[in-house]
Amino acid sequence: MHPDLILAAGVSSPAIADAVASAIRLTTPLLLTALGAVFTERGGVVNIGLEGMMIFGAFWSAWGAYTYGPLAGLAIGAVAGAIMALVHAIVSVTFRVDQIVSGVAINTLAYGLVRVASQALFHSATTSPSVPSLPRIDVPVLDQIPALQPLMANLSPLIVFAFVLVPVSWWVLNRTVFGLRLRSVGENPLAADTLGINVVLMRYSGVLISGLLAGLAGGYLAVEQTSMYVEGMTAGRGFVALAAMIFGNWTPVGAMFASLLFGLADSLSIRVTIPHVPYQFVNSLPYILTIVVLAGAVGHARAPAADGVPYERSGE
Amino acid sequence: MKRRWVSLGLSLLGPVSALLISAILGAFVMLAIGKNPLQVYAVMISYNLGQLDSIGSIFYRATPLIFSGLAVAIGFKAGLFNIGVEGQYYLGAFFASWAGVYIKGLPAYIHLPLVILFGIAGGVIWAWLPIYLKVKRGAHEVITTIMMNSIASAVMLYFIHDVFMDQNQGTLGAPRVRMPPIQPTARMPTMLGFLHAIGIDMPNYVAINWFLVLAILAAVAVYYLLWRTPFGYELRAVGQNPQAAEAAGINTKNIQYQAFLLSGAIAGLVGLSDVLTYFGYLDIDFPKGYGFSGIAVALLANNNPFGIILSSLLFGFLERGGLGIQALAGVPREVTTILEGVVILTVVTVTAIIGRRVRAYERHMAALATAAEPPIDTQAPGRGQ
Repeated sequence: MHPDLILAAGVSSPAIADAVASAIRLTTPLLLTALGAVFTERGGVVNIGLEGMMIFGAFWSAWGAYTYGPLAGLAIGAVAGAIMALVHAIVSVTFRVDQIVSGVAINTLAYGLVRVASQALFHSATTSPSVPSLPRIDVPVLDQIPALQPLMANLSPLIVFAFVLVPVSWWVLNRTVFGLRLRSVGENPLAADTLGINVVLMRYSGVLISGLLAGLAGGYLAVEQTSMYVEGMTAGRGFVALAAMIFGNWTPVGAMFASLLFGLADSLSIRVTIPHVPYQFVNSLPYILTIVVLAGAVGHARAPAADGVPYERSGE
Repeated sequence: MKRRWVSLGLSLLGPVSALLISAILGAFVMLAIGKNPLQVYAVMISYNLGQLDSIGSIFYRATPLIFSGLAVAIGFKAGLFNIGVEGQYYLGAFFASWAGVYIKGLPAYIHLPLVILFGIAGGVIWAWLPIYLKVKRGAHEVITTIMMNSIASAVMLYFIHDVFMDQNQGTLGAPRVRMPPIQPTARMPTMLGFLHAIGIDMPNYVAINWFLVLAILAAVAVYYLLWRTPFGYELRAVGQNPQAAEAAGINTKNIQYQAFLLSGAIAGLVGLSDVLTYFGYLDIDFPKGYGFSGIAVALLANNNPFGIILSSLLFGFLERGGLGIQALAGVPREVTTILEGVVILTVVTVTAIIGRRVRAYERHMAALATAAEPPIDTQAPGRGQ
């Protein structure tokens, strides 16, 4: 990761800002995916296939970046995630199959497809060649303050994009007709249908947005963070993002704070060694935190009323 | 009687058409990577059915899948999705290996059953936290079990590498990350002697073993428990409609708690066929992924224990065939993983469509005839709709 290299080169910087910068880099894929999860679940569709969509996005963005450059790569990754999401929507919205079963199948499918595609395109089942990243950006003025430098200089544009997407998502969900309709379909699809809202279209939109963002998050991991695709690089982040969305009470801003918490745990698990605690357990910190958060959060968190319930018009 | 056959035909229609659709979709994948699908399928069939060792291998590969499918199916039947079979069987394999290595001086007829009980205990222990958090705190078991799977990998690495690693591996090459060898008294014998005695000349390198028989007995036991006991009736009632079950006086949380621990107990047996027969030690690279395959196995069988035996054999066929097509047709064996995902999606979709058609037909018939018969059980697999 570039900022770490700069640190190693001797640019002085407070350790705290550096740790926070690392946490923010690791927050970004979680945040993108969690925001997508907000859209799909507010529309009433549970998407446990986010992990597979991230895997798919990571691989295809690496292929795209390798072939056409980083920007096209990220776009291809997002579209790849959306294609997997389309499968989920067809199976779970149109055919009203159990959404969790469909999501689990998506995860298996993405894993298998990526391994076969990787062998066909890169002649290696598990890694891609090194791929180019987007040019890094500096936040003007703030990057001149030494204490803030690790946070404000040499950033991936996607980090900025992810955080800008938080208020945008809030605005779309709460202040646009689309957002109102999406939420109504997640709360009471029958009432929404009676009012003439196209329930199926709305639910497809929510699922596809989650696929686009999960694919982009995978693209961030491959193109921006690692500069290559490596099998297993998503490491369960799709599930962690889902937990972050729940902990964030199905809201964009809540999802952001929860993602920051998980990003911090992720960064600690990589950077910190605790005496007398085996590193394997330190590495499991994000997973342990996810369980703790789920056990603690549910109770005062409230899911959309029709979340996970297939909508079936009576008489069909 | 006629109605019974119609019902059986309908319940087979889902899996069979799903398999056909999967085969067609798989063919597209092969075309995409420049292979002739007909040739690949022909290689798979001749490699699998043309030689005795392949057939033995299919049964050997089906063994863990039967346990895994049963564990997943018990969860589904109780309205729970146990994605944690994966982590539960890691722990089961570790517990059993520990007992197989460090408990000494017992005769085989005590040691082996004890080791199997340790495996069960490992699975139960790893299943406990998710279901406890589910019934006490409402934490969704899908995410907690997935997290437990990740933690299980870390725990395995810690125990195998940092605590119990075999220090006496000789000087040949770099030492492997594995535990010391399991004592002979805890090893599960192969079925080769038996097969030879009844005239089947199975080659000696095939690891088909008595866990296969245990798995089939487990399927029978699960069938009996779920469909022939009051507990099983309550369990299925909770899975079909928890509100109605609660209203009928069933303690749904208690039933789900017990069902999930039972699921974990069977999950604890998944890895033992490989570890106690084939390897004889627990290696960090022991076979993984059975827990996820078990989901496909259970769904394809519509959670029926006898169907699970058949669908396990089918997946064993696919896995063995995956080796064949990789070696003989140059097709990556992960094509079979794709087929697994496609099978799940198509079987649940086709079952949902058929179920809807049947319900519509029955409503139609019920409208015609006032004396309606009870409806056929055509519920979609998984947690119903």
